[in-house]
Amino acid sequence: MKTFKLFTMLTHSIYIAENDLRQSFKSVRHVVWSLLFPLFMMFTFSFRYGVSEPDISFLNFLIPGIVGMTAMFGSINETMSIVWDKSLGVFDRILAAPVSSTSIIIGKTMAGAVMGVISALVLLIVGSSLFGVSFVNISFVLLIVVLASFSFTGIGTIISGLASEPREAMMLSNLLRFPMMFLGGVFFPVEAMPMPLPYIARALPLTYATEALRAVMSKNMAVVLFDATVLVAYTVSTIIIGSKTLMRLMTR
Amino acid sequence: MRSENAIEVSNLTKYYGKLLAVDQISFEVKGRELFGLLGPNGAGKTTTIRMICGMLRPTGGTVVVAGFDVSQKPEEVKRRIGLVPDISNLFGELSARVNLEFMGKLYGLDKKTRRERIDHVLELFHLKERQNDLVKYYSKGMHRRLTIAAALIHQPEILVMDEPTSGLDAQTARLVREIIIDLNKEGRTVLLTTHQIDEADRLCQRIGIIDRGRLIALNTPEELKNSTEGTRALEIKVLNGVDQQRWLAIIHEAEGVDNVFLAEGKIRVLSKDLPEAIPTVVNLINKHGGKIENISVTQPTLEDAFINLTGKSIREEPMSKEDYLKRRLSRSGMR
Repeated sequence: MKTFKLFTMLTHSIYIAENDLRQSFKSVRHVVWSLLFPLFMMFTFSFRYGVSEPDISFLNFLIPGIVGMTAMFGSINETMSIVWDKSLGVFDRILAAPVSSTSIIIGKTMAGAVMGVISALVLLIVGSSLFGVSFVNISFVLLIVVLASFSFTGIGTIISGLASEPREAMMLSNLLRFPMMFLGGVFFPVEAMPMPLPYIARALPLTYATEALRAVMSKNMAVVLFDATVLVAYTVSTIIIGSKTLMRLMTR
Repeated sequence: MRSENAIEVSNLTKYYGKLLAVDQISFEVKGRELFGLLGPNGAGKTTTIRMICGMLRPTGGTVVVAGFDVSQKPEEVKRRIGLVPDISNLFGELSARVNLEFMGKLYGLDKKTRRERIDHVLELFHLKERQNDLVKYYSKGMHRRLTIAAALIHQPEILVMDEPTSGLDAQTARLVREIIIDLNKEGRTVLLTTHQIDEADRLCQRIGIIDRGRLIALNTPEELKNSTEGTRALEIKVLNGVDQQRWLAIIHEAEGVDNVFLAEGKIRVLSKDLPEAIPTVVNLINKHGGKIENISVTQPTLEDAFINLTGKSIREEPMSKEDYLKRRLSRSGMR
């Protein structure tokens, strides 16, 4: 009985995630637009200003960072669907159905993570084929991308639980995403930052994601392992907090 | 079934913070009954419905649906209820068929059953030709039809409809009413809310009148009309002089007049003692320079009963800030 219940719960989550992603991919424009931003960032920053030759060591630094950043944008974007669902009333449809609130949260989290992974992979393929950056161990890269996407989704769920309407959620998510983008070690190494900033950087999951992706390339497995652990901790805690915020709203 | 009643609500109460939206409401909907909750905007109808459907946690009181307590077995309750919300809340970016597929999946229907039921409801509501179009391109009437179809996909024994005809043109509204009657005749219990008195009168077997969060009357439309006992209605059409609204104020002061309001462009006077009231009212109108074009004594309507009970008309009442807040709170999705 218990396993059956768990099974139903999981299938419900998958249906919810599937339905979510189906909508996102239905509007192709939406997907293309959301990928244009990281692509644009990748191309602009791929020129080392003042240096005529493409700098492979800098590209090796930049591309993993961009991949991590894209995972962040992709997954947080997808979790914003919760706020839209709320404001359009479609969330009521799921609430009125015999689906547990845990299934809803897991489903929404899965959708966000999948979106993050897919967007990151697109950038990874474009980046590695255009700039000749090789990621060495693709399975580790995948692992990090998945973990990172889950931890970003957790953050997205918290935001969409706190926000009362889409505009507020957009504002809140940008408030988090942009500082994270510049402080998360995507474009500038954390070690080169002036004093209080590295502490802030160390509090952001993106920092660990970018660091881990670079560590995979330089085969520094100790760092990969450490960062992966931090990301798991991040994922678990944000998802717990995120579900709490959502749960509180749902069953009040 | 453990109880004969489809829905049993007792002492149901809901506070939004300090705002009292539903105040100790008790009523029951019998199996296979077509029951209506009638009340003005902000009366607490939507909040009540959401608590019955297990989407909102009551502050106090209990709801039992088909023998299951909503607070203990929400999923059992949800399985038995088909909810038609007042605004279409389908996924606009998806086609009608995909929308229905999703609903079918959430209610645990297998692939074959899903296909059969979806074909059936699409046929029933004349949406077959447009089944693969994105829902956002649908007309209002199609939206409403599809929301009803979506609520029927799991063949619920109880159908809960929030303002099923509001915002629809007359023709579509008539169609929706016919659908509701048919669904009830098929043996489904229907609980609907409405702020249209004539709709409640025409559709419902029993009506609960709800005002400011309280249930103030519950009976068949006929009995409610009879409840105006001794009260009779006078219909007056005044030709010229001051505007209709001012006539209301003037007539209201007359001796023997209990209530006065506008109904379809005519002034309607309710009185327990019509022989006393008629000359006074006529004199008053003459004194203020009005010419009576038409005057007649009529049977009390459901609206008369409503006004007698609530002391106010259901129409043209501007929404207060509090009502607006309640509306927002009861409709903003999760809570």
